[in-house]
Amino acid sequence: MGYGGNAPDAGSNGTLEDLADFRPFLMPEIVKEPQPVYERLRAEAPVLETPVGVVLSRHDDVMYALRHPELFASDMDAVHLGNERPLIPLQIDPPDHLRYRKILDPLFAPREINRLDGEVRALTNSLIDTFVDTGEVEYASAVAVPLPCTVFLALMGLPQDELAYFLSLKDGIIRPEGGFGTEECRDAQRATGRAIYDYFEQAVADRRAHPRDDLITRFTVAEADGDRLSDDEILDICFLFIMAGLDTVTASLGCSMAYLAQHPAARAALVDDPALVPGAVEELLRWEGVVPGSARMCAQDTEINGTPIKKGTPVHLLIASANLDPQEFPDPDLVDFARSGNRHLAFGGGVHRCLGSHLARLELRVALEEWHRRIPEYAIAPGSEPVYITGLRAVEHLPLVFPRGGR
Amino acid sequence: MRVRLDEDACTGHGRCYALAPDVFAPDDRGHCLVLVDDVPPELEAQARAGEANCPERAISVEA
Repeated sequence: MGYGGNAPDAGSNGTLEDLADFRPFLMPEIVKEPQPVYERLRAEAPVLETPVGVVLSRHDDVMYALRHPELFASDMDAVHLGNERPLIPLQIDPPDHLRYRKILDPLFAPREINRLDGEVRALTNSLIDTFVDTGEVEYASAVAVPLPCTVFLALMGLPQDELAYFLSLKDGIIRPEGGFGTEECRDAQRATGRAIYDYFEQAVADRRAHPRDDLITRFTVAEADGDRLSDDEILDICFLFIMAGLDTVTASLGCSMAYLAQHPAARAALVDDPALVPGAVEELLRWEGVVPGSARMCAQDTEINGTPIKKGTPVHLLIASANLDPQEFPDPDLVDFARSGNRHLAFGGGVHRCLGSHLARLELRVALEEWHRRIPEYAIAPGSEPVYITGLRAVEHLPLVFPRGGR
Repeated sequence: MRVRLDEDACTGHGRCYALAPDVFAPDDRGHCLVLVDDVPPELEAQARAGEANCPERAISVEA
């Protein structure tokens, strides 16, 4: 069973005249349908040199780089997000990296995360309750943006009425005023960064004094080999969590629902057989390419496929392209919820494999299950279309219509 | 059929024990533990699913 990958009205989009003009971020002209450009990169320029670094687009090469942190470092030189200390554990490489992952992995392992199923389901339903009787909704603002943030607040043991404040903190880092790279942007990021650190400093002090059943408390008591996290380390982890754990899920929810709204047979398959949802989550992670890539810094002179890469060169691992490589995925342009082998790299790979992947999967699965249980028939509102934005590949505007009450 | 796990390659994606819970299980960190080294015929499909869905290629099965 499979569905076409392309948007029904795709045509002029997804084009780039000259691959030499490709840059390793989602260019506005290709964000709606980047897949055809990735196909050309893999075929014509799998190791592409650009003014901002080398771009790898094949599955094997991306996997190789992910699995060799001694050659392709994930440190503060690789990613600039306005932080003054390394982001733990993303910007710490082996051997120190292992210390953090030994402490953190158990807190984010499936056994621990899946305990949240009921709570995530309740939060999802309380969002759906607000619009199900009206027969229409703008999905991004009503579900995709608030859901990951409400789950984050619940997990951290923070009050739900601080949702608006947290959304503003997140946007202050990820979508700073003035646009990336400007002095105004760096000032805005620093100010927001301080606000985040101040907020969590109080929360950590409170949990040390009054332990509770929440993740911040678990950060304060977690240990591995007799080793614990310091307050500063906990703050660094909370900061990364806000940057890495909210918009990624928002973007994945929006892209997945936009796909399903435009592919009625795929939508109907999920409604008829909810057991397909976990496979649909994986396949849409593979196909939609929400996180276009992962940044590394070449740490020693090396080569990929015969192309030399000098120490100090930024290297961009184009994960979204790797996930469409026909050498790894038969019929890569077929969206198949029952794909028999799916080694997609949407959560990265190697030692920096996304710490929050199991939480993301839970949120995506529950959001699709509950929506399709309650609102099986839906479509893009007549006369409108999804609006894709860059950064992460996200759907900023997704107006949906459905029978009032859902069914 | 035998299942082999490269423990150094496993980084805890968790696809194996999600798809093949009778052959694989998570440890405390969410990394893979092999429950049955010698796979009985009724579990061969699960073992193959674990191999085919491991992003790190840490799992291999041999007939």
